[in-house]
Amino acid sequence: MGVEGALEKGVVTTTADKLVNWTRTGSLWPMTFGLACCAVEMMHTGAARYDMDRLGVMFRPNPRQSDVMIIAGTLVNKMAPALRKVYDQMTEPRWVISMGSCSNGGGYYHYSYSVVRGSDRIVPVDIYVAGCPPTAESLLYGIIQLQNKIKRTNTIARQ
Amino acid sequence: MALTQQTIEEPLRAQFGDAILGVEEYLGEWTVEVAPQSVREVCLFLRDNGDFAFEQIIDLCGVDYLEYYDYPADAPRFAAVYHLLSLRHNHRLRLRARVAEARPVVPSVVDVWAVANWFEREAFDMYGLIFEGHPDLRRILTDYGFAGHPFRKDFPLEGHVEMRYDPDRQRVVYQPVTIEERNLVPRTHWQEAEEDG
Repeated sequence: MGVEGALEKGVVTTTADKLVNWTRTGSLWPMTFGLACCAVEMMHTGAARYDMDRLGVMFRPNPRQSDVMIIAGTLVNKMAPALRKVYDQMTEPRWVISMGSCSNGGGYYHYSYSVVRGSDRIVPVDIYVAGCPPTAESLLYGIIQLQNKIKRTNTIARQ
Repeated sequence: MALTQQTIEEPLRAQFGDAILGVEEYLGEWTVEVAPQSVREVCLFLRDNGDFAFEQIIDLCGVDYLEYYDYPADAPRFAAVYHLLSLRHNHRLRLRARVAEARPVVPSVVDVWAVANWFEREAFDMYGLIFEGHPDLRRILTDYGFAGHPFRKDFPLEGHVEMRYDPDRQRVVYQPVTIEERNLVPRTHWQEAEEDG
């Protein structure tokens, strides 16, 4: 929504879809799901240097208040039912960012007897962030990619 | 008191006789082979005897000697290994109790050192060693309802089951593994040269 020129006239026109998407992308509250070393890198994304707060991304330790779940780390069989339960408790619309090799496809532990070979076997994943662990910049880029993805959706269907 | 062959073996032999199967040193570390049924008494003695005074157990783990290099075929397959530390004397000792596959039972040392509780649960979980007298011998790391003991050498790396979400049943379910077994033996140039003649 370019408002620079329109502000002088005191009127802004836009579509309802764009307004909805703007509010959604501007306050993506992630459900933190730190499972391994990726969680430390996720903390770096949230800390002063990269500062996710300036994108409106603020951690909520509560599935009922969050829009996006960042699965950061190795998802093991024992944790998978709990992860799904937390995902089911999140209110819609909801998105999932899979962070790191382990969560993307098992990674280093792909052949293990106790690790889920990709968290997309448990929950539907929107964005895969590559790396082992991904840098803070990578995760930030993943969040921005998710925002771009949300901006492309049409919530109010055009007949 | 410094640990030497004499200072370890003499008091233990005087107290336990044939239950002490051997005392050996390797790279400055002392290992005592103990008959499994006497493990608890030996541990109690090593803790309370002033010359040993092993107040701490640093680690307790299992070992699976299946297909172990240069290992006698008739020797017991498993071993429980105890690493002891004495802060008073600043010395360490390793105990090893070998148990056969048919009856992998070792007396529990939880009442000697309380930390052994979770160590023994882990050894039970991973190797299937039974610690007799343990107050709560449950699995500690693997999933609820897990079958098998994953650190045994004959347990496949991929396991037997894998997990996925079943949208019809609305929950996470187990299914048989779908990936192929991985070849863990690397091929070397020497092998290829031998095969080529």
